[in-house]
Amino acid sequence: MNTDDLLRYYSQMLELRRLDEMLLELKLQDLIMDGFHPYQGQEAVAIGVGAALRPDDVVVSNHRPQGHAFAKGTTSRQIFAELLGRRGGPSQGIGGPMQFIDAPNNFFCGSIVGSGITIAAGVALFMKREGQGRIAVCFFGDGASNTGSFHEGLNLAAIWKLPVLYILENNQYGEAMPVREFVSADPISKRAAAYGIEGTTVDGMDVLAVAEAAMAGAEKVRQGAGPVLIEAVTYRYKGHYGGDPDHTYRTRDEIELWRQKDPLPRLKTHLLSLGVPEADLARMDQLIVQRLKEDQAWALAQPFLSVAEATDHVMIPLTK
Amino acid sequence: MSATRNISYRDAVREATREEMRRDKNVYLIGEDVGRWGNLFGASAGLLQEFGWEQVKDAPISEAALMGCAVGSAIMGMRPIAEIMYIDFITIAMDQIVNHAVKYHQLSNGQVKVPVTIRTQGGIGMRNSSQHSQSLENWFVNVPGLIVAMPSTPYDAKGLLKSAVRDDNPVILIEHKSLYFTRGEVPQEEYLVPLGVADVKRQGQDVTIVATSYMVLQALAAARQLEADGISAEVIDPRTLWPLDAQALVDSVKKTRHCVVVTEAPAEGGWSGEASAVIHERCFRELARPVKRVCGLRTGVPYPTHLEKAVAPDAAWIAAGVKEVLG
Repeated sequence: MNTDDLLRYYSQMLELRRLDEMLLELKLQDLIMDGFHPYQGQEAVAIGVGAALRPDDVVVSNHRPQGHAFAKGTTSRQIFAELLGRRGGPSQGIGGPMQFIDAPNNFFCGSIVGSGITIAAGVALFMKREGQGRIAVCFFGDGASNTGSFHEGLNLAAIWKLPVLYILENNQYGEAMPVREFVSADPISKRAAAYGIEGTTVDGMDVLAVAEAAMAGAEKVRQGAGPVLIEAVTYRYKGHYGGDPDHTYRTRDEIELWRQKDPLPRLKTHLLSLGVPEADLARMDQLIVQRLKEDQAWALAQPFLSVAEATDHVMIPLTK
Repeated sequence: MSATRNISYRDAVREATREEMRRDKNVYLIGEDVGRWGNLFGASAGLLQEFGWEQVKDAPISEAALMGCAVGSAIMGMRPIAEIMYIDFITIAMDQIVNHAVKYHQLSNGQVKVPVTIRTQGGIGMRNSSQHSQSLENWFVNVPGLIVAMPSTPYDAKGLLKSAVRDDNPVILIEHKSLYFTRGEVPQEEYLVPLGVADVKRQGQDVTIVATSYMVLQALAAARQLEADGISAEVIDPRTLWPLDAQALVDSVKKTRHCVVVTEAPAEGGWSGEASAVIHERCFRELARPVKRVCGLRTGVPYPTHLEKAVAPDAAWIAAGVKEVLG
């Protein structure tokens, strides 16, 4: 990875952080639904994995998808519009924060925990037959590793050697429950062995570690080795949903300890050591915020779909 | 009339599957024991030998995974026929159907299509008791975006399955375990039965019997009994429960002025109520009496043969229902 790569990762993580902060502000104004799931703290996972993807790869994400979508190529402008429920979002605003589809960008997500694990296997079934080296990438959380879909989906992908890169974002909590109380395996990636596939655990607060692991894993998957599971150990700063009563399950001290591992200052220190001027990074931040403000203003000016448009594609009319 | 063959419902399903897999290599069959066994009833026997593992996939006993796999491959352009061995097992795959298969088209504003055909079978007739004998079609009628069909004859089984595979919507075809070895005439040449179109299985003047799946056979038997009593019964098979061919029902009831709706599924909260409501809404002035429903009991299906039969309608129940509405 050269300095340009590192600068790109930094810029992407910074844009994602600022975007998420602004989305949370919009939620506090009730312009985005109350249950919005912030991604702050986990940026290194989405951006690190994104570094390993081709545009024609397909991402299947979960109920906290904005980081994954952004890393796949959905723009901040589109994400603003979708989360605000307006035209210009990938689903023209009818999906909202948890279940939009960006078809031209090969991006899917959904809000039922674990389901994507089986859907990604089906996407990969097609890719395996196609034989073009495309892969499916499935993001899910620690909580999803306890679902039937995790077991059924990983087993199916393993027995048929399907090209899926499974990214388990362990952000320490399943809603309000600490991961160590509800997942029997530590690290969770040990579960991969039960399906006869490779499972590794990486520091999900370090974008370079995630990118290296994702590139290596993606390459194996592209070569036909079957599915690979990567557990990225990370932390969400803002609760399961923004403004959840997180004092019931964690302390300020704990959040502060994780903030000390924040992926942005870590990469910044690295960039400064490589001779990148600090002023350049500050300027980058200003430009990002300025562009995001323009994107937000644009999105807020977009109309909503009409009822007829919103319900127009429930079923394709039968031809008799 | 062109040449026909007399074949079983089971063989009609197999012929449709084979023809569609030959026509389009994107069509593939996935399910538990669809390959080596060729399905519990032989409905896919020989297909593994003809098409190989690429198109005939024995899946692990993982209904969520096989349905998720079907959905994921369908959004990429494949056309899976996902078989759930008993409809009772579909509980494990409901999330993939209800939350994903039928949602992607709308969420993508029409850009993503999910041409999944789900094949399964329900109903009584094999002493399978309460977890292998249910009639669960009512659940699926309540899922926007899902087409629900229940063929009652070999002709319909073949033609509807071929239409389902070619349709770009998710379709569930619910077969009936007591129908697989019934026989009927099927054309020599290729044909389709359109989704969403009812069929008049018997013409009559005095009463309309709307029946689904195996109950069509019971309704036809009832009609023959009633004929001896001088009652002329028309039997209508909607074939597709949703979208419902309401006009076919309305046209018949306007003529006969009496209607009985028959399903093996319980009446409460079910499709029979929807059919009944449509007739009341659109034929209220023509109806001589309120619509009568003759439906399975709201119960788990018991194991012994005579008790199993006792909880689902038969020709005698239906004939009694007809006499009640004719007063």
